[in-house]
Amino acid sequence: MTDTDTILLWGLPADPPVAAVRDALQRAGCQVTLLDQRAVLDTEIELRVGSSVEGLLRIRDETFDLAAVRAVYLRPYDSRELPNVASAGQNSELWRHALAVQDIFLSWADLTPALVLNRPSAMAANSSKPYQASWIESLGFRIPDTLITTDPDMALEFWRQHDRVIYKSVSGIRSIVSRLTAEHTQRFANIASCPTQFQQYVPGTEYRVHVVGEEVFACTIISEADDYRYSTECVDMHPCDLPSDVAALCRTLVGLMNLFLAGLDLRCTPEGRWYCFEVNPSPAFTCFQDVTGQPIAEAVARILESGPEGSFKNHLCCAESPAYAAGEGVGSKR
Amino acid sequence: MIVIVANRWDPTPRAFASRWAAHDVRVLTAQDLSVAGWRQQLSGSDDDTAVAERKSVPQKEITGVLTLLPCVVENELVDIAPEDRRYVAAEMTAFLLFWLSRLQCPVLNRPTPTCLSGPYWRREKWVRVAAQAGIPVQPVRRLAALSDASAEEETLPDSTTVTVIGKRIFSEADPGLQCQARCLADLAGVELLAVRFSGPERGARFVSADLFPNLSDDTLAGAVLECLRGEPARCT
Repeated sequence: MTDTDTILLWGLPADPPVAAVRDALQRAGCQVTLLDQRAVLDTEIELRVGSSVEGLLRIRDETFDLAAVRAVYLRPYDSRELPNVASAGQNSELWRHALAVQDIFLSWADLTPALVLNRPSAMAANSSKPYQASWIESLGFRIPDTLITTDPDMALEFWRQHDRVIYKSVSGIRSIVSRLTAEHTQRFANIASCPTQFQQYVPGTEYRVHVVGEEVFACTIISEADDYRYSTECVDMHPCDLPSDVAALCRTLVGLMNLFLAGLDLRCTPEGRWYCFEVNPSPAFTCFQDVTGQPIAEAVARILESGPEGSFKNHLCCAESPAYAAGEGVGSKR
Repeated sequence: MIVIVANRWDPTPRAFASRWAAHDVRVLTAQDLSVAGWRQQLSGSDDDTAVAERKSVPQKEITGVLTLLPCVVENELVDIAPEDRRYVAAEMTAFLLFWLSRLQCPVLNRPTPTCLSGPYWRREKWVRVAAQAGIPVQPVRRLAALSDASAEEETLPDSTTVTVIGKRIFSEADPGLQCQARCLADLAGVELLAVRFSGPERGARFVSADLFPNLSDDTLAGAVLECLRGEPARCT
């Protein structure tokens, strides 16, 4: 099958953001192809790169010409975690095949002139929270006082200094943000095993902001939990407007990260100081959209529909990781 | 102090330490990330400390870093419970990215979010970048086919290597190829790169590039040391 207007979605059909974007694209009359990631063991992929980028994807009896794809929305899970791959066994032939398909597809996604939400290389900065935080700070948001240490005594000193402190993972692996309590001191010796991140607790109103191209969707989060994502209590959300300078900073931040879609976690202190904790390049926006009624999936569909030529910031074949580190590659913004 | 960041099973850094015995060289592996003594503040501080060879060192004493690993891998973490190794490897890699990216001293190569030593570019990315820069390339084909149940690996043609170290280039290949290798290193933003061409003659095609050149040669190792010592005439 070849269709120059095809918009490709890669992920799991039941994943709410994927389903919401598919539905929005279909409502808009777009040609959509959803590549079910679970079919990876029935998938073949070929990539040829030289003076051009060409690719073919075969799933059972269907063949897709990747060169004809107009736009892509990526929301894959780790192939190793797929039930049929995991059950094949680590390092089995099927397991290696699944990883090879994933790697070649992601390689194509970094090279294709199609519009990609978001390019894998652009999403990579989220793999290190302090790395990303340094970058966020350099662009104008406040970030909490942060210590990363393997020394239990230093952690205790930091806690005494700030009174209220939270800890969370250093990497992009999702973890529950927790506030330090007296019970944690019994486990402080474990800090020596691996660098651990501690942050000053910042009181204030929590905001979740989704930036889709130039559009900004903000909502306030009302929750007593340290990490509302895992709260067993009621979490209330209300759509809101951000101050124009904060909204502009969100757009700038996301744009400089070469992202077309991102979820930002912000907090505004009672004194009016805005903190940014994280920029998520693959946000599960539907749990906010479902409560607030904000048409985020429609905005994603519009960006995809615009394709590379309609995009306001097209980085053909040169989208790269954020340029916070010196010496990043071709085409990266500085 | 020069710090070499490496996999704990890699013998290369020990060879460097012996060769550079006249200098204060320490090897930093994942083991050092499981030792009390690291102190890194996001805001940066003169009091920040690192750990190398299981000893805490003031960060301001580090004058150069050579990174010989792309990431921390699970099989290094033999002292960590098996069920925790994937998570700890990701945490340690994320931490090293943050730490290396903030150092003000020479760092070969500077890290990126995709690799602790320069950008992780697959061969097809290098080929694409080279082609866009006008460099003749050997096209690359990758295939994951069910009949093979694994990715098909192409055999690389015989090649000539041009090694870029800072401002210097080491090769007996045609000067035009040396210039192309320099161009690729600049485009990738790296100071350490091995660039392979299909032959040494003018007009040879670009084949691939490697962020981790073979540095066993004394001359190459000496050039790396010059870079790490911040020789201004040779390195930026």
